[in-house]
Amino acid sequence: MPAERLLDDNVLLEELRKGTPDAVEMLFDRFHSKIYSLAMSILKNESDAEEAAQDVFLTVVRKADTFKGNSALYSWIYRICVNTCLMRLRGKRRGETVSIEDFMPVFTEEGMHASLIDDWSKEVERKALDKELGQVIRRFTENLSEKYRVVFVLSDVEGLSNEETAEILGLTVPAVKSRLHRARLYLREQLSRYLREGKAE
Amino acid sequence: MNCKELVYLLGDFFEGSMEEHLRQELAVHIERCEPCMNFLKTYDKTRILCRQIQPEEIPEEVRNRLKAFVLQKAREHHRDIEKYLERAARERREQVADILRAYVANRLSMTMNLLFRTHRDRCDRCGAFLKGLNGGKAIPEIPPDIEDHIAEFLEALPPGESPVIG
Ligand SMILES: [Zn+2]
Repeated sequence: MPAERLLDDNVLLEELRKGTPDAVEMLFDRFHSKIYSLAMSILKNESDAEEAAQDVFLTVVRKADTFKGNSALYSWIYRICVNTCLMRLRGKRRGETVSIEDFMPVFTEEGMHASLIDDWSKEVERKALDKELGQVIRRFTENLSEKYRVVFVLSDVEGLSNEETAEILGLTVPAVKSRLHRARLYLREQLSRYLREGKAE
Repeated sequence: MNCKELVYLLGDFFEGSMEEHLRQELAVHIERCEPCMNFLKTYDKTRILCRQIQPEEIPEEVRNRLKAFVLQKAREHHRDIEKYLERAARERREQVADILRAYVANRLSMTMNLLFRTHRDRCDRCGAFLKGLNGGKAIPEIPPDIEDHIAEFLEALPPGESPVIG
């Protein structure tokens, strides 16, 4: 069978059900980077991510029969990945998470800014810190609870739309937007403090 | 619009999903409020930086190990399924042979007997095959289409009812 045919999700699924070895390989080649990076973002540990990725592929192979195809293949696979990772997290002692509330902007009773707001946006450009800041942001997101972290990862790291993220997580689009907004408020504040103090908290 | 409301709406603002009158109110506010201008710029910069985060790359070694594992397990899984299907097919073949032996020995249950007689008169293939059995001792090789037909009788039986007497 020509390999290009397996690029069609329906053909790929059909061949997976039959157990065609090429299909399993195609499934792996197409999805392993995404599955691994998503698992790494949620689990923050290489060996956990590897084990989670194993589980994800086995689940996909075993459940290919029952997949109804009413959502896209990748979104089904992402959902399996998120669920597998969250299940693993539950079985583990979590590292400390910060309270997102401590990083929300504060306002006076009249609804005016109650803290000093600097503009560091130009400064960041001048210093060309983008790459380093990427690492810093990643570290900050690791302290977020899963509720925010998973939405952030799917949306900003994996580059999915709000609709896609909502479907994978079983959330409404407004819930995704609101979590993303709060995650950004949190990160904006963390970055402000980081740049002000010249070091991470 | 005050600063608090403005901050709350920034997500919609950058998504472009903000209503026009709110967008105008925001523009008016930002003109006169330096903290909000700064907040908006740094919020935007945060968004941009976040989008530049690269997904974690899978190390070569992990990729190879993972791939070998997945291919191996998938093979085992499908071998299990094949074994299961083979066993099911074998069991069906034996069941059909049992029923045919009971047919020859006149030991079919009442329902089964009825199904057999009705089908025998309707289906040329099975009819000829069953006539050939009459008086015979050994059950010959059962052609697949005839096996299919007889297996269908089994599904037509009420659950729990045995197709064979004794
Ligand atoms: Zn303001």
